[in-house]
Amino acid sequence: MLELDCVSRFYGHNLVFKDISCAFAGGGITLLLGHNGAGKSTLLRIMAGLTRPSSGTARFTAPSPKIGYLAHSTFIYPALTALENLRFWHQAHCLDKSHDLFKALERVNLTARAHDRAGTFSRGMAQRLNLARILLLEPDILLLDEPGAGLDTASQALLRKEMLDARIRGACIILVSHNIAHDAPLADRILLLEKGGLAYDGSPAFFSAPEVQACCA
Amino acid sequence: MLRMTLAVFRKDMTLTLLRGNGLAQALLLGLLLVFVFSLSQGIGENLSPRNAAAVFWLSSAFCQVLIFNQLYALEEVNNSRLGLLLVPQPLQAVWLGKALAGFVLLLLAQCVFAPATIVFLGQSLSGHPGPAASILLLTDAGMCALGSLLGALAQSQTARESLLGVVLFPLLTPLLLAGTGVCAQALGGASGEADAWIGVAAAFDAIFLAAGLLLFSFLYTGDE
Amino acid sequence: MPKSFLPLVLPLLGGTALAGCQWLIYVYAPTEASMGLIQKIFYLHLPLAWWALVSFFLVFLGSVVYLFRRSPGADRLCAAAAETGVLLSGLALVTGMLWARKSWGVWWTWDPRLTTTLVMWFIYAGYLILRGLNMPPQRKSLVCAVLGVVAFLDVPLVFVSARIWRSIHPAVFGAQGGGLEPEMRLAAMACVIALGFFWAALIGLRKGQLDLRARMDTLWAGNGPSAAGRNRP
Repeated sequence: MLELDCVSRFYGHNLVFKDISCAFAGGGITLLLGHNGAGKSTLLRIMAGLTRPSSGTARFTAPSPKIGYLAHSTFIYPALTALENLRFWHQAHCLDKSHDLFKALERVNLTARAHDRAGTFSRGMAQRLNLARILLLEPDILLLDEPGAGLDTASQALLRKEMLDARIRGACIILVSHNIAHDAPLADRILLLEKGGLAYDGSPAFFSAPEVQACCA
Repeated sequence: MLRMTLAVFRKDMTLTLLRGNGLAQALLLGLLLVFVFSLSQGIGENLSPRNAAAVFWLSSAFCQVLIFNQLYALEEVNNSRLGLLLVPQPLQAVWLGKALAGFVLLLLAQCVFAPATIVFLGQSLSGHPGPAASILLLTDAGMCALGSLLGALAQSQTARESLLGVVLFPLLTPLLLAGTGVCAQALGGASGEADAWIGVAAAFDAIFLAAGLLLFSFLYTGDE
Repeated sequence: MPKSFLPLVLPLLGGTALAGCQWLIYVYAPTEASMGLIQKIFYLHLPLAWWALVSFFLVFLGSVVYLFRRSPGADRLCAAAAETGVLLSGLALVTGMLWARKSWGVWWTWDPRLTTTLVMWFIYAGYLILRGLNMPPQRKSLVCAVLGVVAFLDVPLVFVSARIWRSIHPAVFGAQGGGLEPEMRLAAMACVIALGFFWAALIGLRKGQLDLRARMDTLWAGNGPSAAGRNRP
């Protein structure tokens, strides 16, 4: 569903990573690991098409897939209400009108605050609203950049459930996380980004303890 | 694409007019300009129609810079720009939606500036209003096409807001000259060349609508 | 070989040609009857204005290339051409003002060409300010490339509008090209060509400097502390 071919990225003159090639199929969860500053977020942005690689190509093998991207920024307009925010993204994505926006809010437990301005929300609530936006899209490719940050346990459980649902639906899920103990059991594949390249790419079963420790250090 | 354009337009109008400061800052700046220019009149004198028209367009130009700075700043609060980039629709929809929003806001502001110019600068609508109305729409369209394109310059706050004015004003010279020329006639100035001016404004619109469509996607990116 | 040869030969050629032109200007070309010696400014003014316009066209071309290829070299060429263009158009404005003072008794006249040159000077001065900002390098190059295209699209519109704006006055310079004597025309053409070499040398020199700085930044980022290269303009 997604292919990276010899992707490299520089910031100014500083190399972030070099010659990364890999392909992602639908129906799987990939966990992307690495130190701070290893370029995980940058790689995820390249996959989403938000950042151009300095060289190499990132392309979707499926025609115009729907991309869900959940990162630190919540994409929320603080002056609009929760419902208005959702309605805007719904219209912008040209989704059909059958979607029930209230139902989407209900799934993330925000119905009671539907008519409150999003600016009054806590970080966790804003991220839940963001999650509702993504669920509305039913994305083919789901890119999650430390989505657990700032979410309470209930929301994390919800996120986990949605990830598993998306996998069943055949979506390709790529997850950046530092919480290996929590997220590794979900993963079908692990990528380790280290020293500007892919240090490990394969099943979590063979992902040895020293490497886990190295990347957690 | 049209649905996304409308969605962006509607959202920007809601955010600008119903929530937040709205047009207040832009309006105040424009009115102040008109007022300051009225100080240049001696007792019993009035500015010539041409001067008055130039002041009107100067106010509009400053107002437009503020409007587009404001419109593009909306996306920077929670990085919604990235969200817009991820929508699988032509990016030009954002440009068009914001240009439309800017167009309506600028017209609203001009509804205040026009009477202010007439009152403070002692003018009267003694000429033909027809050409003035058409040049108003054409000039505003061109200003918004270019403003919406270059407004994307200010993304991610590295480019200072004053920069947009420095870059935009000289580029707008042909339009401002056209607007001043025709509007001066509506205020009773010497007539002539209205057709030529309307031609210049139309050519400007055509070129910069095309440039906006072609170039916007280069400028509106996910780079920090 | 030709690459190291050109930067040496262009300034030499430009310099000698410009020096030779002084002979053409002051000895060969006749002194104009009504204006006297001050008319000689024209031989400098005309090439300055022309090559300034060519510089801006080069910015446009470089910008288009950058937008499609994203080559940093094209971006540096744009920077060199824009700087040279602003310099030359600035000088053209000054010489134009001197001319106007003597010829028409005013420092400034809103002749369409002078107006266009002035507006271009403003546009590209703004462009250079944009270049001086502290932005991520790739983003800056991109923004400048877009502005480089937009700015050049504006030039014909500015010219046409300036012409309509002052249509009450006859085109002052219009009569001049036709009214030149053959010796004067020859001298003027020679000056244009000579300044052309000089212009190319100037752009080559500036481009070379920028290339060198980019290379030094790369080397510095490779060896020195990694943060050092990041904040450089």
